[in-house]
Amino acid sequence: MKEIIDALEAKRAAARAGGGERRREAQHAKGKLTARERIELLLDEGSFEEFDMFVEHRCADFGMQDQKVPGDGVVTGWGTINGRLVYVFSKDFTVFGGSLSMAHAEKIVKVQDKALQNGAPCIGIFDAGGARIQEGVDSLAGYAEIFMRNIWGSGVIPQISVIMGPCAGGDVYSPAMTDFIFMVKDTSYMFVTGPDVVKTVTNENVTAEELGGARVHAGKSGVVDGAYENDFETLIQMRRLVDFLPGSNREAPPTRPTFDDPNREEPSLDTLIPDNPNKPYDMKELIEKVADEGDFFEIGKDFGKNIITGFGRLDGSPVGFVANQPMTLAGVLDIDASRKAARFVRFCDAFNIPIVTFVDVPGFLPGTKQEYGGLIKHGAKLLFAYGEATVPKVTVVTRKAYGGAYDVMGSKHLRGDVNYAWPTAEIAVMGAKGAVEIIFRADIGDPEKIAAREKEYKDRFANPFVAASRGYLDDVIMPRETRKRLIRALKALKNKKVETHWKKHDNIPL
Amino acid sequence: MFEKILIANRGEIAVRIIKTCRRLGVKTVVVYSEADRDSMAVEMADESVFIGPPPAAQSYLVADKIVDAVKKTGAQAVHPGFGFLSEKPEFAQRLADEKIVFIGPNPHAIHAMGDKIESKKTAAQAKVSTVPGYLGEIEDVKHAAQIAEEIGYPVMIKASAGGGGKGIRVAFDKKELQEGFPAVRAEAKNAFGDDRVFIEKFVLNPRHIEIQVLGDKHGNVVHLFERECSIQRRNQKVIEEAPSPLLDAKTRAAMGEQAVQLAKAVGYDSAGTVEFVASGADKSFYFLEMNTRLQVEHPVTEMITGIDLVEQMLRVAAGEKLPFAQKDLKINGWAIESRIYAEDPYRNFLPSIGRLKRYRPPQEGDFGKTKVRNDAGVREGDEISMFYDPMISKLITHGPSRLEAIDAQARALDGFLIEGIQDNIPFLGAVMEEARFRSGNITTGYIKEQFPQGFQGVEPRAEQAELLAACAAYAHAVQTARARQISGQMNGHGVAATTDWVVIVGETRTPVAVHLTDGGADVTFGDRTVSLQTDWRPGKPVIEGEFGGEAFAVKIAPKPEGYGLKLRGVATTALVATPRGAQLRKLIPEKVAADTSKMIASPMPGLVVSIDVVAGQEVKSGEGVAIVEAMKMQNIIRAERDGVVAKVNFAAGASVAADEVLIELA
Repeated sequence: MKEIIDALEAKRAAARAGGGERRREAQHAKGKLTARERIELLLDEGSFEEFDMFVEHRCADFGMQDQKVPGDGVVTGWGTINGRLVYVFSKDFTVFGGSLSMAHAEKIVKVQDKALQNGAPCIGIFDAGGARIQEGVDSLAGYAEIFMRNIWGSGVIPQISVIMGPCAGGDVYSPAMTDFIFMVKDTSYMFVTGPDVVKTVTNENVTAEELGGARVHAGKSGVVDGAYENDFETLIQMRRLVDFLPGSNREAPPTRPTFDDPNREEPSLDTLIPDNPNKPYDMKELIEKVADEGDFFEIGKDFGKNIITGFGRLDGSPVGFVANQPMTLAGVLDIDASRKAARFVRFCDAFNIPIVTFVDVPGFLPGTKQEYGGLIKHGAKLLFAYGEATVPKVTVVTRKAYGGAYDVMGSKHLRGDVNYAWPTAEIAVMGAKGAVEIIFRADIGDPEKIAAREKEYKDRFANPFVAASRGYLDDVIMPRETRKRLIRALKALKNKKVETHWKKHDNIPL
Repeated sequence: MFEKILIANRGEIAVRIIKTCRRLGVKTVVVYSEADRDSMAVEMADESVFIGPPPAAQSYLVADKIVDAVKKTGAQAVHPGFGFLSEKPEFAQRLADEKIVFIGPNPHAIHAMGDKIESKKTAAQAKVSTVPGYLGEIEDVKHAAQIAEEIGYPVMIKASAGGGGKGIRVAFDKKELQEGFPAVRAEAKNAFGDDRVFIEKFVLNPRHIEIQVLGDKHGNVVHLFERECSIQRRNQKVIEEAPSPLLDAKTRAAMGEQAVQLAKAVGYDSAGTVEFVASGADKSFYFLEMNTRLQVEHPVTEMITGIDLVEQMLRVAAGEKLPFAQKDLKINGWAIESRIYAEDPYRNFLPSIGRLKRYRPPQEGDFGKTKVRNDAGVREGDEISMFYDPMISKLITHGPSRLEAIDAQARALDGFLIEGIQDNIPFLGAVMEEARFRSGNITTGYIKEQFPQGFQGVEPRAEQAELLAACAAYAHAVQTARARQISGQMNGHGVAATTDWVVIVGETRTPVAVHLTDGGADVTFGDRTVSLQTDWRPGKPVIEGEFGGEAFAVKIAPKPEGYGLKLRGVATTALVATPRGAQLRKLIPEKVAADTSKMIASPMPGLVVSIDVVAGQEVKSGEGVAIVEAMKMQNIIRAERDGVVAKVNFAAGASVAADEVLIELA
């Protein structure tokens, strides 16, 4: 018996050693932790249970039969984050550069299947060189098997991808189909084709960092939802994110006790809206003063900054905040903002997270760049997402809600459950100046008349009362009471049930 | 006493005056500009009158508008506060003509002290000590030496047409004078085309000490001792105190007596201040000027005398006699005042205006031996406007001794939270800790001498580092304990409570054990356990309480990888990890931060009005290199160090975002 135990221990030790001391040191020298170290930081200490530690590849070509490392370049299993079940796989760059073989893919597929079956989030950590070329089509088949699980799991369990090293070629498409992607600055990159191929095909000279670094994807492409400074910070933040998410669409999001008073008033919100209607203000201040303990996990902070999306809690229960940001482009809706918010709204809807919307939107962004880029369809995504969402939806108009953008931003007409406005709200087809220039075109030459007409229009529409008189708003509330009112509204909506027409799935304007 | 007065001012001083009026049962009217429509003063006053657009020249400085407001509201008197119309004799005269009482000195006294040269003559006549000097034509070196001999060394040799530090020499003896006099003369001729030179006493280790006087309309004048205001930055007072650590009873009495003589000589009949420069070397003192109004720093005098100066101004203006004589007045303890400004101490004190997203002053009142008072005119959510003085508040503490008052001030500053704009609290906190300031050996050059490279923050002392570590570890332990109460945990897989943590600050790793208790925690460092008592909960921006029996307050803000902590002039980030987590964290090398000291960035978004340097040009620290217009204000962007311009990234007319690099130095 002792011999068998010793043999087991030796096998385990061999698997834990991964690609060996030298490669582990090389990994550290690059500022990266190893696959196992990352799992340790992500999960509660001592909670990780590893699967398939002894799995080896079955390739017999190109001398691969002589190179076998138990585990085959990926560490998989399950553990807990604050006591809640999660499944995890973590690519091991020290073993075959983390490249994907059939056996490696099977390990990932196993945890994906388990996560889906048992209703728990699946977190993938990427740090790998792509397909195991020696395995040829088997490797491609392996990728597709993983992709299929991503698709099955989409909308059923939260799937999170953390890019902590190279992630290129076939490797990028699994993260692309998950709910959230995060990257580590300076030590990770992500692209379909690398700088060498780019150079050959387009003669562009570009570095990996410029082509697919964390800053590029978090800020320019919008592919990733956040970028962090190092492995440690990234994994701490992943723990924080998971605390907002349910295990699956079968359950409500997790609650936790809060130290914050649900009736807390914030008098300073009464002066958040500047006297000058053209002056910006920081919508994040509102979110941070309303959310429990000011805690806000922002999604897509550096992309489409004219809209803010992210998670917070109200009286201990998670909500998704969507808010126009007047500080950037006056909070206008453009392609990036629409795409970003639409995807976030759909995530919240899929996972039973109520949506709280703060509206200060002057409309959609005009211009050829936007129209050529397909603003019509991108804007429609957000409209569609809000309209189809059946989770509790509470909306507060803080200032402008103009034109079609008013309809889009969680309006009553898209089944908004509770719609509030601050006294400073202006709900209208457009700003007074633009409206007057159309309605009273004949008077344009006469500045005095125009000014009088503008004032008339302003007095009539630059307030929340017309909309309130139609019932499009349920109430006009004092800014300082926003937190209290939101919490009350959401409590009343806790058992909301909506029947929808049977369909196979919808056909959102992708 | 008046039934109703009008306050021709704004901000904290308007609020300050209203408070006294309320106590005395006097009704108040404030005037306000467009920018102050919803101000705290307007909210507190019984009545308010709108007087025009935000620029003071169109509102607070327009005498007609003030007079109209008085007539409209039936106020009997006007308190001008300080600044604005407070020292304009025409305004005082105008009110007199309109039969409105001016709560301040008579127009004659304002006029007599208003002119710098006239006031010196008056002072000399009243036998007030003035800086000895020779204003006539000096013939030659021999004549100069004779004059210097009469004045007494050291002397300052100054070009009559001089300015900007040019054409000035100090001579400590005859030899230096013989060298210096011709040099200054030559320099003056070259620089200004005018070789006239004069000589005056050079005040060694100059300190700004002023005497508060108070007179009534019945010829009585008393002084309420001195205030020292030597801690100044670019002639702007930053920290004031009363009494002065320099003065002994004899000097104090002499200065007070001279101040009273001067006040009597001009028939002074209100609160006023006689400013002196005093030498830290020999306690000699010389008259500078007299301010015929309430001073910004008047609260320190109030704290040590127990006399409400605003009340006395109202009473004497109403014709009452002073209720006390000089012999009734005594100094009780020590008071320190810090001016909290909207400015960024880390960026060469660049003004930082905007919305007070968070404004939580420390608690006011009596705390055993010490007192805390905060004179402010703003509330959370108010705007610090570009139109007026960027002072946010005045924080005053009082204690039985100077050091007790300083320590109380430091603690109060620790708990003073401002967010949304930058503030100078870290700098003030650093001064309260600084040994020379604490010793009282200060001069008007203190800030320049003590912080020659500007303010970059300070390193924590060992016991401060321990407190910061305890705060971070406690915050983390509370957060972790709460996280373990989340719903949906696997049965039997609840996470065990951890007590062992490692606090990581840069290279320093401090292992601590945190045992949460009812009102805080026991924090163990090695074999030593310190009790931390606090009611802090996640979401609170300040953690305060007692640590090892000592009261403290530390500002705490969650960051992606830890906690941002601020204490005195220390600002740092502490990461808290389990021992295993700390081991793993150690494997990650610290990133080398990009050297931004060579970058001159725009502190705010705006329009580049001009770039005033070209590549290859040498620049000095503090030199203006560009102008960026933001919110219709032209902001001069200055180099923060010496260097040579390597690259200019923007041209005039371009838009620039906040923190975008305008100019790079080599």
